[in-house]
Order: sequence, then C-alpha cells, then structure tokens
Amino acid sequence: MEIYIIFGILTLTYVMVVTKRVRGLITGFQFQSFFLFLLTAVEAWSGRSIELGTVAALLLLVKVIGIPQLLSRMTDRVRASEDLGLILNSQLSLVSGLLLTYLSWLFYSYVVRGHNLTEGIALSASLSIILMGLFLMIFRMKALSQIVGLLTMENGIFLLASSLSGGMPFIVEIAIFFDVLMSVIILGMFVYRINKLFTHVDVSRMTHLRG
Amino acid sequence: MKLRTAGWINAALHFAVFALALFLARAVLHAGVVRFAFNFFYLDALSAFFIVVIALVDLASALFSVEYIAKEEEKGAITYKRALIYYLLFNLFTFSMIFVAMVNNLGMLWAAVEVTTLVSAFLVGFYNTKHSVEAAWKYIIICSVGIVLALLGTILFSYAASMTTGLKSLNWSDLLAVAGRMDPNMVRIAFVFILVGYGTKAGLAPMHNWLPDAHSQAIAPISALLSGVLLKTAVYAIIRFGIIVDLAVGGRYFGHLMVLLGLISLFIAAVFVLVQKDIKRLLAYSSIEHLGIIAVGLGIGGPLGVYAALLHLFNHAVTKSLMFFCAGDIVSAYNRHNLNSIRGVLKSMPFTGFMLAAGTLALSGFPPFSLFISEFLIVTAAFLKGSYLAAALMLAFIVAVSCAFIYHLSRVIFGRPPAGMPPEASPAGTRLALVMLFILFCALGIFIPGPVNSLIVSAAEVITR
Repeated sequence: MEIYIIFGILTLTYVMVVTKRVRGLITGFQFQSFFLFLLTAVEAWSGRSIELGTVAALLLLVKVIGIPQLLSRMTDRVRASEDLGLILNSQLSLVSGLLLTYLSWLFYSYVVRGHNLTEGIALSASLSIILMGLFLMIFRMKALSQIVGLLTMENGIFLLASSLSGGMPFIVEIAIFFDVLMSVIILGMFVYRINKLFTHVDVSRMTHLRG
Repeated sequence: MKLRTAGWINAALHFAVFALALFLARAVLHAGVVRFAFNFFYLDALSAFFIVVIALVDLASALFSVEYIAKEEEKGAITYKRALIYYLLFNLFTFSMIFVAMVNNLGMLWAAVEVTTLVSAFLVGFYNTKHSVEAAWKYIIICSVGIVLALLGTILFSYAASMTTGLKSLNWSDLLAVAGRMDPNMVRIAFVFILVGYGTKAGLAPMHNWLPDAHSQAIAPISALLSGVLLKTAVYAIIRFGIIVDLAVGGRYFGHLMVLLGLISLFIAAVFVLVQKDIKRLLAYSSIEHLGIIAVGLGIGGPLGVYAALLHLFNHAVTKSLMFFCAGDIVSAYNRHNLNSIRGVLKSMPFTGFMLAAGTLALSGFPPFSLFISEFLIVTAAFLKGSYLAAALMLAFIVAVSCAFIYHLSRVIFGRPPAGMPPEASPAGTRLALVMLFILFCALGIFIPGPVNSLIVSAAEVITR
C-alpha cells in the first residue's frame, strides 16, 4: 500500500516538473500533499497513533487546503500571466527529473546500501522529490515557482522522515508545520511587494544587486 | 509614546536580558549542565557562551537603535507605525536567536534557525525599496533552501543513530550518549548536508551569495545583528553536530571539512573585498573573511584551536557590530554609501571617525586589539598541529583582505569632507553602544578577565571533550 502512495507522490512531482502553468503547479502540489496525507493517515490508522493522526490532520489542513488556497489567491491578486517562464522546456525538464530520480537511486544503492527494498524506494523517491523541488526553484522564472519548489522540497523531507525513522518527534513536527506556514505567508507578502515595486514577479529579472 | 522613549525602554529590556545571560552563564559554569522543562532546554558552557555573545550584541544594537530609528522617522524614511513594528521584530529576532542556543532537540534547533530567517527577512526588506526587497527575497529563498538541506541532514543524522542503536530521539544529549555507536558512513553523509545547510546561513563560501546583499540592505542596527550574531547561531548549530560527528566518525573528518570551507571563504573574501564600492558590502565581505577564520580555527581543533576560534567569534561579534554602527551613521550623515564618494569622516564626524579607524585596525588584525590575539592563537594552534599549509594560506588571505580593507576605509576616514556637512550629533545611546564595544575589543586585546576566560575554556571543553 505504502509503495503505491510513494509512487503516486513521485508521479505527481513529475507532473509538477512538466507543467507550464502556475495553476498546474499549485494543483500538483495540492495532490502531492494529499497523497502524503493518505500515507500518514494509513500509518496512523495501522499504528493506532493519536500523534500521527494529528500530524495527518495538520497535513490536510495546512498543506492540502490552506497553502494551495493562499497560493491561488496570490496568483489572482498579482495578476501575473499564467506562464511559469520555463528556462528549460517541458520535455527536457522531464528528462532531468528522471535523471535526478536515477541519481537518487544510485546514491541509495552505492552509498547507503540499505537493508530492505521498501526503505530503499522510499529513500530514493524522497531524495529525488527534494532534488526536483530544487530544480523547480532554479529553472522557473516566477517567484511563485520558487515558493512551490521550496514546499516540494519540504514534502520530500517529510516523506523521508516518515519512511526512515517513523516520523520526527511530535513537537518537532508541529514546529515544522508552523515554520512552513509562516514561510509561505511571509514569502507571499514579499511577492506582493515585488509585484508592486517591480511591476512583475519574474525573479530572473531582479538583478540590481551584484558583486 | 515618543520613539526615543520606546527605544530606551527596549534598551533597558535588553540590558536586563544581558544581565540574565551573565547570571545564567555563572549558573552553568557552576553546575556544568542546566536542563529544564523536561529536558527541552539544555544549557552547557557552549550554549551559555553563545547566549552571552548574542545578548551583548543585542544590547549594543538596542542602544544604537534608540537614536537611529528616531532619526529615520524624523527624516521620513519610515513612519511612526513602522518604527514600532521595527521594535517588535527586533525583539522577535533576538529572542529566536537566544532560543537557538538553548534548545536540546536538534529538530527544534532547526525550526528556531528558520524562524530567525523569517523574522530577519522583514528587517532586511524594511525600507521597502527595490534593492532591499530584492535582497530580502534572495536572503529568504537561499537561506530556506539551505535550511531544508540542513533538515535533510538532521533526519539522516537521526537515522544513523536509529539504524544501529534503535534510538528514536532528536535530543542532542541523547545522540551524544550513543555517538560512538552511530553508523559512521551515514553520519558522514548527513554531516555534508548539515554543513551545506547551516553553512549557507553562516555565510561560509561558496554558499555566501545572500550575505552581502542582506547585510548591505538591512537597517543599520540589524546589519550589526546579522553580522555580529546571526551568522554565529548557524556556527553554533554546526558545532553541535560537529561534536557528535567527531565522536562517531573519529579522525579529522569534521576538522578537514571546516578548514576547507574556511579557506574557501577567506579566498572569496580576499577577491571581493578588493573590488567593493559600497561601504556596507565591504563590511559584509569582511564578515565572510572572519567566519572563514573561525571555521579554520574550529577545524584545526584541539583545546587551543577551539579556544581561539571561540575567542575570535566573540571579538568579531563585538568589533563588526561597532563597524556597522559607524557605517550606519556615516551613510545617514553623508546620504550615500559609495566608498568613492565618502571622504573625511574623521574631520566631519570626529567621534564616529575615531571609532571607525579603531575598528578598521582591529578587524585587520593589528595589535593591541583583541582580534590580533585570537588570530595569532589560531595560527599558533595550526603550527602546533603541523597544519602548515592551512596556516600559510590563511595568513596570506588575511593579509590580502587587510590591505584592501585598510585601503578602502582609510580613504573614507581621511581626506577632505564635502562642504556644508552638519556638525556631528552625539546622542547618548549611540555613544554608549560604541564606547562599550570599543572598550571590549581594546581591553580583551590586552588581558582576558578570569570569568570570560573560564567561560570560553569551558565552552571549548564541551567541543573537544
């Protein structure tokens, strides 16, 4: 069961890498978070763990409902074009994404030499999600894609933590949720400011500061 | 309420925090380790040392803020409401930094470091101009990516412990207890992520790109906090992990990586200090240099190397805050920040000019100032350990940076000031902050008082154990 969910998350990450539109990216993130929620909910159910259940509920509330809502409202308000501004086109992006997954697998099989296959798949999948998040941050021009890229990286980390060590301590998990929500809100405020001052949200054109 | 009154209340508050930090340091020195709130807070000499440094620079910055913020409001650069927001953010920022040095759980440590980034991003983009918002965006994005990698490292770290020992905890004290039995390969990998992650926040090259922008665009008292202590909280995180890495992996893994990053930082600083045109960017690159020196000192290790690195960390915090205060006053008096168009500070602003001159010599490593002592001790430690190449490279880079630094700032200090400069205002808060820092970096160059010495020695013992 868990393996299928992990593959689902991975597939959605490819979709995010391929999409050219801001909406697509946000929806991709939303579904990715929903699959993470499923994963955590299954674990919480099978372990009868209230703490994990709380984490799952928070996931649903913050990452599946809250943050995507915030992000779409942001896109509406800055009235930027729907285009993400791909520095690398969709096809090449997909190839890069697959390559990153392969690299993560190599990393796992040569460096970590883990004990069982499920753990290996989880580890290399989450590593490749983290890398693809980074990819989104670098190879897209719009400020919003950097936010979603960051969130994707965070999702990858969440997957890694829950599959490797059975999640982080409860209080840490809460603190991380708080931080993620705060950073999205604060980044959003900066997107508004950028939009107002620069009259665009294209971070590749922000080059005042050099040297 | 008048802004100056608010400023003085804030300063009094931070004086109380500083007094509390000293009291805490005494308690920790007495008891060895202080834990409370169900082991959530864990304070040893290392935490106490960092808390004292943070509280000290906070106090200086609060004193400096009194006049600076009031003046900015009078000039119309910020509104009254935003000035009050400044004080709110100032306190959140300083509180989160102290929190970093107190928590036991490495996940909470991570969350606290992230909070420092989030809060200070507002202070970097405070003026809401194109430049400052761009700097703030760059700062928050680069540091957030860094910090995500640090979280990855933290998780792999705890995995390294749970793989072989079954420990399910992120508490530093628990990890320390099982450090010898952790999976060494996994620890090595995890530490690379930690170093890249927190190293970004510490401004170590080649992850330093955000630093000059953020430091130069931030509001002046905050630049001092960023350079003086924020970078050091990330160093604190690296040290915490480094202690466990040393026990788990053995050998010189931690040391070699730190020396390598330190030397790269020194090299980058040497290149970029030379070509700077902006006074605050110059100081920012000098911070990268000094962080490099601290990293080399920590990397060389041994009781002497670590002691010297911590002493240098303290000295740099004190001196660099003074320099950013001076730069802030100069920029607002001259109304420009280009190094080529500021001349004759010593004539137009004798007090600030004198402080700037003293700070310049101190940062360049001249005796009798305290930075000379700590740099000298780091080089000595390197020679004693036989790291001749590292010592030689470090000295060469320091000389290069110092020459460029003195060249740039001597042109600012001497020469003829532009006509029609108003006489220097000398408000009490600013003087108090500058004189306090000045006395500290002069006095510590001549002798180190007993309590300070024993605090640094005990902190170094935590690292070298």
